[in-house]
Amino acid sequence: MKETRETSKHGREHTQTRGPGESLQEDESGLLRPIDNQALHHAQYRRRLRSLSSASATSRIQKGLIRYLYLVIDLSRAAGEMDLRPSRMVVVAKQVEAFIREFFDQNPLSQIGLISIKNGVAQCLTDLGGSPESHIKVLMGKLECAGEASLQNALELVHEQLDQIPSYGHREAIILYSALSTCDPGDVMETIQKCKNSKIRCSVIGLSAELYICKYLCQETGGLYSVALDEAHLKELILEHAPPPPAIAEFAIANLIKMGFPQRAAEGVISICSCHKEAKFGGGYTCPRCKARVCELPTECRICGLTLVSSPHLARSYHHLFPVTPFDDVAPLFVPNHRRPKACFGCQQSLLNPGNLPGRCVTCPKCKQFFCLDCDIYIHESLHNCPGCESLRDSKSLS
Amino acid sequence: MPQVKIIAKNFMDMVSSLPAMKLDKLYENAFICEAILRSLPPLAKKYVLQLLYIDVPVSASSLQEWVLVDGASKHRVAVDRLIQLRVFTETVDRKKEATYRLNLMFQMNLRKHVVHGGVLPREPMAANITVRLPSLEELDNYAAQQWECFLLHLINSAEVEVTTKSISPSMMKVFQRGLLSQRDNEGSRLTESGFQFLLMDTNAQLWYIIREYISNSEDRGVDSADLISFLLELSFHVTGEAYNMNTLDEIQRITVKDLADLGLIKLQQGRKDSWFIPTKLATNLSISLSDASSRKMGYVVVETNFRLYAYSTSKLHCEILRLFARVEYQLPNLIVGSITKENLYKAFSNGITADQIISFLQQNAHPRVAEKVPSVPENVTDQIRLWESDLNRVEMTPAHFFDDFPSRDVFEAACDFAREYSSLLWEDSKKMQLIVKTEIYAHMKEFLSHQK
Amino acid sequence: MTPVSSKQYTDDVSLLMVLMDTNPLFWSSTATPFSFSKFLSQVLSFLNSIILLNQLNQVVVIATGFNSCDYIYDSSLGHGNLRAETLLQKLEEFVIKDEELNKQESVDGIGSSLLSGSLSMALCYIQRVFRSGSIHPQPRILCLHGSQDGPGQYVAIMNSIFSAQRSMVPIDSCVIGSQHSAFLQQASYITGGVYLKPQQLDGLFQYLTTVFATDLHSRNFLQLPKPVGVDFRASCFCHKNTIDMGYICSVCLSIFCKHHKKCSTCGSAFGQPQTSVSTSNQKRKAPDN
Repeated sequence: MKETRETSKHGREHTQTRGPGESLQEDESGLLRPIDNQALHHAQYRRRLRSLSSASATSRIQKGLIRYLYLVIDLSRAAGEMDLRPSRMVVVAKQVEAFIREFFDQNPLSQIGLISIKNGVAQCLTDLGGSPESHIKVLMGKLECAGEASLQNALELVHEQLDQIPSYGHREAIILYSALSTCDPGDVMETIQKCKNSKIRCSVIGLSAELYICKYLCQETGGLYSVALDEAHLKELILEHAPPPPAIAEFAIANLIKMGFPQRAAEGVISICSCHKEAKFGGGYTCPRCKARVCELPTECRICGLTLVSSPHLARSYHHLFPVTPFDDVAPLFVPNHRRPKACFGCQQSLLNPGNLPGRCVTCPKCKQFFCLDCDIYIHESLHNCPGCESLRDSKSLS
Repeated sequence: MPQVKIIAKNFMDMVSSLPAMKLDKLYENAFICEAILRSLPPLAKKYVLQLLYIDVPVSASSLQEWVLVDGASKHRVAVDRLIQLRVFTETVDRKKEATYRLNLMFQMNLRKHVVHGGVLPREPMAANITVRLPSLEELDNYAAQQWECFLLHLINSAEVEVTTKSISPSMMKVFQRGLLSQRDNEGSRLTESGFQFLLMDTNAQLWYIIREYISNSEDRGVDSADLISFLLELSFHVTGEAYNMNTLDEIQRITVKDLADLGLIKLQQGRKDSWFIPTKLATNLSISLSDASSRKMGYVVVETNFRLYAYSTSKLHCEILRLFARVEYQLPNLIVGSITKENLYKAFSNGITADQIISFLQQNAHPRVAEKVPSVPENVTDQIRLWESDLNRVEMTPAHFFDDFPSRDVFEAACDFAREYSSLLWEDSKKMQLIVKTEIYAHMKEFLSHQK
Repeated sequence: MTPVSSKQYTDDVSLLMVLMDTNPLFWSSTATPFSFSKFLSQVLSFLNSIILLNQLNQVVVIATGFNSCDYIYDSSLGHGNLRAETLLQKLEEFVIKDEELNKQESVDGIGSSLLSGSLSMALCYIQRVFRSGSIHPQPRILCLHGSQDGPGQYVAIMNSIFSAQRSMVPIDSCVIGSQHSAFLQQASYITGGVYLKPQQLDGLFQYLTTVFATDLHSRNFLQLPKPVGVDFRASCFCHKNTIDMGYICSVCLSIFCKHHKKCSTCGSAFGQPQTSVSTSNQKRKAPDN
């Protein structure tokens, strides 16, 4: 065990001291030259896109968009280790903060709760809730470590909390585990079975070395198990959990939920809100059914009980449902010159390399417009619209 | 920063210091109006645009209504600037309320511009004339090279091959005034401001030179307002297009030749006509200082061990680095040196400050290190500051010493008086002695004479 | 992907992307309070004054048509000064082409123009400017829009809005039609832009210069029109109706105006409609078995 630690420490230092020099590669003639980052980047992205689209092509996209997630943070003695600077605990807290924000951005109707393990006891820091700020505030106030870690106690608490949520919700737990042992009051295997039966998906991110019990837990409950090498890797691993996981039909029962989309009132209007029962100055929201005024979204109308959400909130996840079809590569010399446009349809960047040679570009299989590689990435990763298809009325009526 | 002393911040400060008559005359030229507008602070620009189609005076309070609390100071600066440039005419009515309206000539010219769009000051060379014009890149290189040559010439007249020979020695003298000090035995030597000048970016240097050029114009029999208006007009030409010299008058032709030596303009001789091609330096003249200052590629990498690598082929860069670092060897495209205590002491004694050196290193950081924060290692910047403060252990303040007070009360009163002006440097209440800054010496004397 | 440098660049240099509604059905309708030519002359003057303000300012105009969208002007390609002739010529070509694409569909009332297309194009262009280096003009988008919202574009427009928000590009909207636009209200609200529906269109130029000519830097110091309420209604996926109450699929969050047995987007089969996602404790226990 000692050895594992040594190597992992070494690994961390190595990545930290990587110099400012550019990445180099050797070309055919043995000369060193900078890596063609753009081409490399694009190739990586294409691979990612292809793997995504092939997965979704077979089945209809079903994602668990309403998630109930407990983040379990190990604050045992091991979290005070200094192999991540300044300590594991601080680094974990920092990444958890980033994760919580990203999570709510991508999963608008979901809720998070925080649990800590300290002195062999699991404790609920925050109940399930939808406000990132309140979680972060509580977490930052509780950053001290002591005693042993107990996986079983943590799982029991998670199970107890998540057993109450509605059937359409996806139950998840992410455990950030620093310790190399677990100190349990009973048989942890039984608890794992209990979680499995309650369809709680448990994932573990280890901070020291791989543990069999964690791996087993993840395998049983359908979660992911990974061990972070350094801070950057930890960030990557934890953010992997932000996008909604593929829904497994038996895990949650589909349902239609009635909701209202309130309008925001003008700035500077005075009105009495139904949630605090006091006069408020400035924009509030009006329930479409009973016209009561509420201060914040999402919430439940105090008068008629309708769930009120802001529709843009919902719309943030729609790109999961209607992904842009992957663009096709265009062989540079294949398309006759008169048929290929000179500039990218999206950004008007020239598609010609210096010397008027046709450069690399891609084309949308639906609208047949040509795009540059940069736009290709932007369209699929951030915009989620094909500008070509969107500016054609015909293609709209089809879809 | 001491830079302020030797540099008028930009062209527009010069323009605003012109007498009212000349200023009003300048506004008859539409290009001047455009350039003035562009030089204004963002808020002032907005006010001008807002009042462009309003023919009646607007009260100050209604203008202020748009401003948030945070912006009050910006608002004042903007309005002051507009009044100073006589773009706003201010009238105070009976109720003591100020109203503003736009300068009529200025307003008319801008309205024309807004409706018809900008026009070019003169037609560029027609496309059918087949003369090979330099590409933009060539032109940029030409400008940079010419400017560097000029700078080298300026600081070190002996060493340079004489490429800028056409600048008359008397003109060179004018430029060198303030930057170089002449000594009988050892030739010229850079002054404090000269060093600072070299560390500034190209645009700031350009302003300085152009300002000297303009302020010297009256001696050459050229009206400074005419010169300013021509220079501004020049900045509205298109970079890289050729313009016929015939369209210029005699004085402008001489000016163009001078500017060619500075790299603002490239002259080209055609078969029949001669042409002038403005470079980027010329077309950037009317842009305010801050915009273009950081558009240069950096070249300096500083390591934590005080080594300094400058990826540059320029002789001038080497000279500049020599000001505060020891240049160890030079490869065709790389200058390697190190920042040492001795060299820094030399620089400090020449009047260069640590902040100037650090900001020079930061501004010229190679793109690869510029991405990092901080771009210059902290231990290096700290050490440079420490070395500087080593030299400044003793601070000199001109002061006056007071002694022999008639009574303790008078002494106490005098101390309080000095404290109020925050000019009390030292006091000894036992011996009843005190030292105050020179600034309040006169007040102090007056105060004491009343006490007696 | 979000460029950090844009925050540090505090100058007033702007890149203004103007999305101009050229929907022939809107401009020819009798409800439109003023003519296209009048509108154009005011907008051209406005573009002139933007370029006048700063030598480095850049203006790009994209026409939002009925059947297509296209770039019709880019000041970085010319010599700084706005060439009204080139813009008008391009615009004319665009309008003719747009007309030809019309497939004689029966259009009821004033059809919507393709705002989602022009928004997407503008964002692609802005990304290219971001890529060009750490120093670039501050981009913003101005929608000069008159046609009705097209509920069919709901998802695409929302996607564009979120992408703009992530890159910190404000979307200003100037609505010249007779009705408020719920899409543009949301766009401006979410991205921190200004939404304005001028009262008197004859003074459009004055509105444009006083409100929309303000660069992002100066917006910190000035009082600009506050939103008069935002319409957060959504479009349902089944009939593309704009609704303020509806059913949400718990699996994919699709919106429906009526209760269905099966989700048309993700294929999940539904049980009985549930009234709410409840957060309170008693209710949380209730639906679970």
